[in-house]
Amino acid sequence: MSELAIRRGAAPALAIEGLSYAYPRATGAALADVSLEIAPGEFVLLAGRSASGKSTLLKAACGLVPHFHGGEIDGAVTVAGLDAVELGPAELAAVVGYVAQDPETQVVSTTVAAEIELPLEMRGDPAAARARAVEEVALALAVPHLLGRTVDTLSGGELQRVALAAALVTRPSLILLDEPTSQLDPVAGDELIWLLRRLNEEWGVAVLLAEHRLERCLAAADRVVAMDAGAVAFAGPPAEFLAWAIDSDPALETPAARLFSMAGIAPLPTGVRQARQALAGRESEARAGAFLSHGESKSPSAEAMAMRSRDLWVELERGDGARDVLRGVDLELRGGERVALMGRNGAGKSTLLKTAAGLIEPVRGKLEVPGGIALLTQNPGDYLVRERVGDELPGEAGLAALRVVGLEHAAAADPRDLSGGERQRLALAIALAGQMEGERLPGVVALDEPTRGMDRGRKADLGSLIGDLAGRGAAVVVATHDVEFAAEFAERVVLLGDGVTIADGAAGEILSGGWYFATEVARVLDLPGVVTPEQGAAALREAGEGRG
Amino acid sequence: MRSPFAYMPRFGPLQAASPAAAVAYLGALAAVAFLYSSPLVLLATGVALALAGRLAGAWGAVRAAIRIGLAIALPIVLVNALVVNRGETVLARLGEWPLFGQVDVTAEALADGAVFGLRAVVVMIAFAVYSACVDPDRVLRALRPLAGRSALTATLVSRLVPVAAADAARLRDAARLRGPGAAEVGRAPLARRLLAGSLDRAVDVAATLELRGYSLEPSPMTRAQAGGRSGPRPSPPKRRSRYERRFYLVGALVLAAAIAAKPLGADGFDAYPTVQLGFAPATVALAALIVLSGLAPLRRQPRRRRV
Repeated sequence: MSELAIRRGAAPALAIEGLSYAYPRATGAALADVSLEIAPGEFVLLAGRSASGKSTLLKAACGLVPHFHGGEIDGAVTVAGLDAVELGPAELAAVVGYVAQDPETQVVSTTVAAEIELPLEMRGDPAAARARAVEEVALALAVPHLLGRTVDTLSGGELQRVALAAALVTRPSLILLDEPTSQLDPVAGDELIWLLRRLNEEWGVAVLLAEHRLERCLAAADRVVAMDAGAVAFAGPPAEFLAWAIDSDPALETPAARLFSMAGIAPLPTGVRQARQALAGRESEARAGAFLSHGESKSPSAEAMAMRSRDLWVELERGDGARDVLRGVDLELRGGERVALMGRNGAGKSTLLKTAAGLIEPVRGKLEVPGGIALLTQNPGDYLVRERVGDELPGEAGLAALRVVGLEHAAAADPRDLSGGERQRLALAIALAGQMEGERLPGVVALDEPTRGMDRGRKADLGSLIGDLAGRGAAVVVATHDVEFAAEFAERVVLLGDGVTIADGAAGEILSGGWYFATEVARVLDLPGVVTPEQGAAALREAGEGRG
Repeated sequence: MRSPFAYMPRFGPLQAASPAAAVAYLGALAAVAFLYSSPLVLLATGVALALAGRLAGAWGAVRAAIRIGLAIALPIVLVNALVVNRGETVLARLGEWPLFGQVDVTAEALADGAVFGLRAVVVMIAFAVYSACVDPDRVLRALRPLAGRSALTATLVSRLVPVAAADAARLRDAARLRGPGAAEVGRAPLARRLLAGSLDRAVDVAATLELRGYSLEPSPMTRAQAGGRSGPRPSPPKRRSRYERRFYLVGALVLAAAIAAKPLGADGFDAYPTVQLGFAPATVALAALIVLSGLAPLRRQPRRRRV
């Protein structure tokens, strides 16, 4: 980004000096002596593991901390010259916008137009100015066609754009985003990031973006700030951040950087374009075939059939009338398979899993799950209704389920005291309880979007749990938008598009055969079957040896 | 799943009219249902409201309202028949009942209950058409200067009710997905969980309202800031509809006719001691006028010019 756009020397968009903060009744500090400055027009990526203080920092920058959440605060926070410790979020609304992870909780009006107009109305802008501002922000975010719709008819990606429009309509100096892509499919996620970059460049709005999937947004950032245990662990340009991450916190590496690091290539790339330029001329294509075997699924006849659908049609009411969500899906899963079910928001992934679990009746076709199914839906908290783990899962059947997920030690604990990953495992145990014969699992274990908001460490834990469940003979099917996670755990990928199976094959083949539903390594190397950094590094080394 | 009563933006006269005009029109018809007991007038009012709903594209809401209204009407008819012992045409003598005493079911009590039930159906249809056709954001905006706190409460409720309904559906699904070896989910833990979730949601929505500046009093400074950016302003555009006057006029006409026809014997219904059903010319004329009022949301098609 040019120095003209990042107006260094002007009053900073955000200035934080010696900020420490603790939530009410918390045992430790959420932020510890944080100092940070963001120049007007700068695009800053906020990295860090779960609970490292990213969200709290964003809330402090918009006044929710301490004015809404309470707690003890020390230090100074200034947003476009306004004191955020002194003024509340309402007073700061003119200079800072905030977009949270869950778009459902950030809309308060019935129609899109009213939602976008609300902040202007609140500050007393006249109707003519409001109409113009709404029109302009809707055009900038490519949502003018949504203005007349009600918010409950929008998809997740559309809703997130509307929330962004409502945050931008006052033309703030700074926009804060807390994992805005975590609930979006890869297409909508990429579109949102590049939309932010365009607004940053054209409108000059400074952006502070907290994200776990760094590969998605590192190339768009001017600077990266990494948080660890409530403090700033690193602040610098993206390329320097990658070098720091390799040494200090490998969980924050991007797949392309890991690929380069493993292959011994420098400098580390911040995005696909840079990586491809660095690799131009390398003769790696010829070695591609050697890696196909890693991603190939087992022979279909090797294990017993765990789930079979034939010409499955499911119709659901979607507000503006009934719609076919699944249209003649044929699918067969075998015991022990690890399958990623992928596709855009609304493609029918969750509907397929709910139909398999008996929550939805198909209108045509057949779906058999002879060994039973345990389904963990998108919100594990929905399964937890009691105040003791042992009360959720009583008796020997409960204990057996806890053993399968590795939580047998937590029977006396309150579910609210467990970590996010443990709560997810507990919910899975609740779904499994009583469906097992001894240690034998139900035929299918299904998880719907289990990696939302997870850092790489927790994803690795989940990956090993999935491997363990498949090792015990269950077909494990995971509906996910996370292509990198799918590449790590799945041996087979089923891609749905508008209720139809559009691709079904080995993970290596499917995740290297496109652009949106492809891993970063696959997009860099464009080698059939090569989707993980390990595979890519091996291909590059082999190509190097071939040249030698 | 989306409620059939949820507001759906459509291009139509009723949706384009201001909330006040829509309330004047639908409120006048609902008022007739409370003023009159004549089954003919009540039936005409129900037909008018259903027609209005159909023309406004809210047929789904009308059908749902009729279903719910009938579900409410049936117990009204039954309870009235059991509780009221007046009327000369005894259909069944059910003997002595605890609390009720001697229970005689009369044709008059059944007819009286049916009129109450019909009134409930009519009011339900009026509510359904209002709910599906009147933009709640415009209603809240109109209320805000008059009663800020009430408008805030209404905003929170209007957002949280559908969210809580979606949460409840999710929790029910999760309860069905529990393995047979997990503890059963009783109603109390489920209700507790729903309440806790709703409180969390309320906090999130309140935070969003705060971020949108809901608690902010428009200050001269913020007005000046806004003015400084947008430059000289034209006079604010008023969201007026060309159908506005039509709804006020039709509402006023229906209400005035209903009030004027009452002393002329248009409300010709007496349940006791025997059912008296009057079809005076005033009743028929009023019923016809009311049915015609259901055409108010009709949109005139633009004329095509011959080239």
